[in-house]
Amino acid sequence: MRLVGVDVGGTFTDLILADTETGAVTIHKVSTTPDDPSVGVAEGVGGLCDLAGVPRQSVDHVLHGTTIATNAALEHRGAECGLITTRGYRDILHIGRHQRPQHYSIRQAIPWQATPLVKRRHRHVVTERLVPPKGEVLIPLAEEEVRQAAQALREAGIVSIAIGFLFSYLNPAHERRARELVLEEHPDAFVTISSDVAPQFREFERFTTAAMNAFVGIKVREYVARLDRRLGETGLRSDLHIMASNGGVVTPATVAELPVFTMLSGPAAGVLGGAWAGALSGHRNLITFDVGGTSADIGIVTDGTFSEATARDTWIAGFPLLVPMIDIHTIGAGGGSIARVDEGGAFRVGPHSAGARPGPAAYGRGGTEPTVTDAHVVLGRLVPANFLGGAMSLDVPASEQVIDGLAARLGLGREEAALGVLTIINASMANAIRSRTVQKGIDPRGYALVAFGGAGPLHGAEVARELGIGEVIVPPHPGITSAMGLLTSDIKVDALRTAFQASTALDLPRIAADFAAMEAEIGARFAADGIEPAATRTARAADMRYAGQGYELRVPFDGGPVDAALVARAIARFHAAHRAEYGHAFPDATVEIVNLRVTGIGVRPKPANPSPRGGQPLAAATVRTAEVVFAVDGAPQRLATSVLAREALPLGERISGPAIVIQTDTTTVVPPGATFVADAGGNLIITL
Amino acid sequence: MDAHGSITVDPITTSVVQGALENIAVEVGYKLMRMSYSSIIRESEDFGAALVDAEGRGLAESAQSTPLQSGPIPGYVKHMLRILAARGDTVRPGDVIMHNDPYGGASHGPDVAFIVPVFHQGELVGFSGTTAHHLDIGALTPGSCGIVDAIDAYAEGLQFRAIKVYDRGVRNDAVWQILRDNIRASDLVVGDMEAQVAASRIGAERMAALVARVGLPAFRAACAALMDHAERLMRRAIAKLPEGSWRAETFIDGYLDDPDPSRRELPLVATVTKQGDGLIVDLTGTAPQVPDRPINMPLTGTVDVAIWLTIRSVLLDTAIVGHVPVNEGLTRPITIVAPKGCLANPIYPAPTIARFCPGNQLADTVMKALAQAVPGQVSAGIGNLKVIAFSGLQGEKHWVHMEIFEGSYGGRADADGMDAVDTLYANTRNNPIEDIETHLPLRVERYELREGKVGAGRFRGGLGSIRSFRFLTDGGASVEGEGHRFRPWGFDGGEDGVPARLEILRADGSAQALPSKVPHMAVKAGDTFVCEGPAGGGYGSPVERDPAAVAADVADGLMSSDAARETFRVALAPDGTPDVDGTRRLRSG
Repeated sequence: MRLVGVDVGGTFTDLILADTETGAVTIHKVSTTPDDPSVGVAEGVGGLCDLAGVPRQSVDHVLHGTTIATNAALEHRGAECGLITTRGYRDILHIGRHQRPQHYSIRQAIPWQATPLVKRRHRHVVTERLVPPKGEVLIPLAEEEVRQAAQALREAGIVSIAIGFLFSYLNPAHERRARELVLEEHPDAFVTISSDVAPQFREFERFTTAAMNAFVGIKVREYVARLDRRLGETGLRSDLHIMASNGGVVTPATVAELPVFTMLSGPAAGVLGGAWAGALSGHRNLITFDVGGTSADIGIVTDGTFSEATARDTWIAGFPLLVPMIDIHTIGAGGGSIARVDEGGAFRVGPHSAGARPGPAAYGRGGTEPTVTDAHVVLGRLVPANFLGGAMSLDVPASEQVIDGLAARLGLGREEAALGVLTIINASMANAIRSRTVQKGIDPRGYALVAFGGAGPLHGAEVARELGIGEVIVPPHPGITSAMGLLTSDIKVDALRTAFQASTALDLPRIAADFAAMEAEIGARFAADGIEPAATRTARAADMRYAGQGYELRVPFDGGPVDAALVARAIARFHAAHRAEYGHAFPDATVEIVNLRVTGIGVRPKPANPSPRGGQPLAAATVRTAEVVFAVDGAPQRLATSVLAREALPLGERISGPAIVIQTDTTTVVPPGATFVADAGGNLIITL
Repeated sequence: MDAHGSITVDPITTSVVQGALENIAVEVGYKLMRMSYSSIIRESEDFGAALVDAEGRGLAESAQSTPLQSGPIPGYVKHMLRILAARGDTVRPGDVIMHNDPYGGASHGPDVAFIVPVFHQGELVGFSGTTAHHLDIGALTPGSCGIVDAIDAYAEGLQFRAIKVYDRGVRNDAVWQILRDNIRASDLVVGDMEAQVAASRIGAERMAALVARVGLPAFRAACAALMDHAERLMRRAIAKLPEGSWRAETFIDGYLDDPDPSRRELPLVATVTKQGDGLIVDLTGTAPQVPDRPINMPLTGTVDVAIWLTIRSVLLDTAIVGHVPVNEGLTRPITIVAPKGCLANPIYPAPTIARFCPGNQLADTVMKALAQAVPGQVSAGIGNLKVIAFSGLQGEKHWVHMEIFEGSYGGRADADGMDAVDTLYANTRNNPIEDIETHLPLRVERYELREGKVGAGRFRGGLGSIRSFRFLTDGGASVEGEGHRFRPWGFDGGEDGVPARLEILRADGSAQALPSKVPHMAVKAGDTFVCEGPAGGGYGSPVERDPAAVAADVADGLMSSDAARETFRVALAPDGTPDVDGTRRLRSG
């Protein structure tokens, strides 16, 4: 079976082809075509097949990570949308939580007010009202008003319409009926109902999620259709799957309906790729560390499973979204991060980035500000002759000049300043990792750091050292780890029911019925997607909190018949999770089950593990010896450092740092005191 | 000169320590918010978390939390240290200290702090502290808002002056029992206090680990350097101001239905004077304290925070200058003068529990003074807030719910005011309707923008909201608010905004307008509070407003085409777009 993974980034589209039978892997990189990324994808896939020497029609599956939805949100370029909501609540989307995003600012712009997803003139109210605890109908739906709203929106030229009614997560009947009515009046409408997108409480966040789906929906739907067509024109006969933010792939049909689920498509694939690389070397507890030019994405994998974000921690473009997402923590720290001395004289690095253009001074494209990359150049860690496999040169004097300017402002020497840039950026990265580990009761010392992306392997060892992490894994092709991650994905479907049940008054039949209904729903979805039942499994979970709290923690629920003992086991897990997360538990307090969840997994074929070639003696792998600056007892020191070619490294031989390992898509820094080995799994393993 | 100023530290270590302290403060705030029970903390985010040094100087604060909570923590710690010293006591490892004295650093009584000292090899190096607004603190009526008829500090509830709830790690069970026995809804309140203790302890643990990592001398030197840095940022911003002294006056409602004139329509005066790279904020001219009504503002904990917040929001606006570290250095260039015995510096035991809205009005007054110096950096007058405490009995136990009703911002030099948000020193969150109705015998019947009430201007003021709460069972309510009498100030030719209103619609069909302060009143099932929030002042002349923006507001149903014509002098074509010729005629007239 032949699998193709395509990850579209801002500058490059990364492609990988894996043959599950022969184990052969081919990689390819083409320029992204920002106006319509499907052009670059289709060309790239064609080129990849040619490169691998396989007929295009022999590709079985294409797996794709896309940033269409994310970019539409970030650039605020989506559809003009309409909203139909409960009478009396026209401005929930506008008032939000009545909180300003910034405490100390008069001149800030509030995203949902300054750049609304739905303008007020297109927000229509209709008479209806549901009430808790079960979504009882207090006021029936005024169907004629829905028709009138649909007509008004149609006449205003609005195609994308969200419907959000209060308490619809308890009873979706009104929203569903309203959708039927809208489609009767406006058959071309793209209708999103909030109970489909995010059936959980908190009206501002749920309505916003529905509105975001409407906002990006048409763009994403058209893109997927175009991509499907172009791939066909290129000669492919394969089926297409798209990476969703939850770390699974979904069918184009699902994406067309719920495009908001693809918001973190790209970074999610990175976490999967990191997990795959870690598994090659037998590691199941991993911190994935994907560093590019502008940002670093951090994910946590425990016992082979990535962690999911809690519903209230997911934001895109300043808007809160209630959709299942891998917990990925992104900070503005990357190779292009700019170092500066602020007005008060403090030394800062990031979050501003020089980006790809003008980029670091070293790129010779007119960059005049000192960046992290320039610091690496000045310290001798990036080797001009070998940067990007020699495809791009580095302007060393330009880097020296900008770092000297910084050093002068700080009253430091050139090398001290350059080391300072790295110390500060590494500390930011370590803090970001702490916020996802130490602060959540996870000891990072029990984890390995998987460093990838263009800049991850430059920083991995020093960041790991700061956190007391003993091992750093650099995957075989660090620059295309996300594309690799796509190949390892499964189909993943989430279902959810809001429960609001107290541990002191459990309605076990209702819990059982909810789980059964969700399991049936997922089964039907898999059947519709043509997935063999044998290749599927489901897992139950629940979001719980102490009664009265406002935030939930997700804990697993066992399968099988629902009885008191099964629920009690889940509640015991909640107490333990609370203690781990917050350092404290309240064992005597009443626990409230807020949401019940079922996740369905449709297992997909996986690529074979790489089998690295034997390598050569160390001397043959040594390109040269260079002087590279490292901090020794806090002071810069020039050390004689071997520059080694990754593809020529001898397998299984432990090599002492300092060393610089070069390969086409990245450079790995092994500091003094560390050792490393190219292992049989295809990874570099640095031991600190 | 700082005691540790002689120790030098490199800028790299300072930057690393700064990042680590902020990371810890964020963690403490995050954990408190997530562990706590009452919606005033977990949903409204009316809590604070901060790290301070051994002398009580602020080092970092949580990025969540509301400024009026984190800002005072250094003041709590300094006063707590003084009280302990006067008592011949000191702090020791394992202590957890409770403090809420509004004449000793606390913002007001319900904002109870739990403070944990941090030691490194036996030496005190700092404190980790949290504050939170508790639902009830044992005042004369249920809730801790709307206690507007407390006649002195004793009527406001329990007073804690540096009480060790854990002494060297040993829990002081008597104190915890007193709390349980004297506070309504004590399950929630004590649960929240325990969450505070747990969160503060985490902060202390992390801070100790940080000190161990970088070493005590480097840590202290870095702390001194990061405070010096923030001070320089503020001084440089002040130095850019034109020379001068700027006076502003606004008014608070006080007790509009009170026959005694000394309790209503009270002036707040701020005179801001530039002196080199420092500012003096003189509150002389502010009304005398009201000795027996709790709208007096604690000087430390409310007045100082209101002033600091406004100055830094205007001069170091984070939307313009990016992240600004929050520590004591920012406040050093600012000197506050407040005559003893005025509303802004009351004399014990004058009550203070309802100081929230007057304090925010004071912040607005300072902005009004700064508007004369930096007109491009302010908004016109803000709409102030309101808090209603809803309560009732379920069997023998109370339920209490406090809801903060938003105000709005005035127009700005290049943008309309923010609509329906908390203003200036408050930045809490509303409670989701779907949460309120699931857990309380209340129904939120409406939540929308208040149409047709606009502070007109080239950039109009933000709109207020309309929010209605109906009681489903019998209960009670009390109200603490401002802004019913005086319109938020317009600026540079902009019109004044629109005051707030409050009405109760009785189940029997009658309606009654209420003033901005209402002591506890009985409420019947079916009675509904209708809150109309204030609209902020306009910025610049309304006839200079972009006709397209006027047309958009009309299309959005925020104002009528008559208002467009009369107030903004914009004529609209039948399709709702601006009529260019018609507008020119109207505006040239």
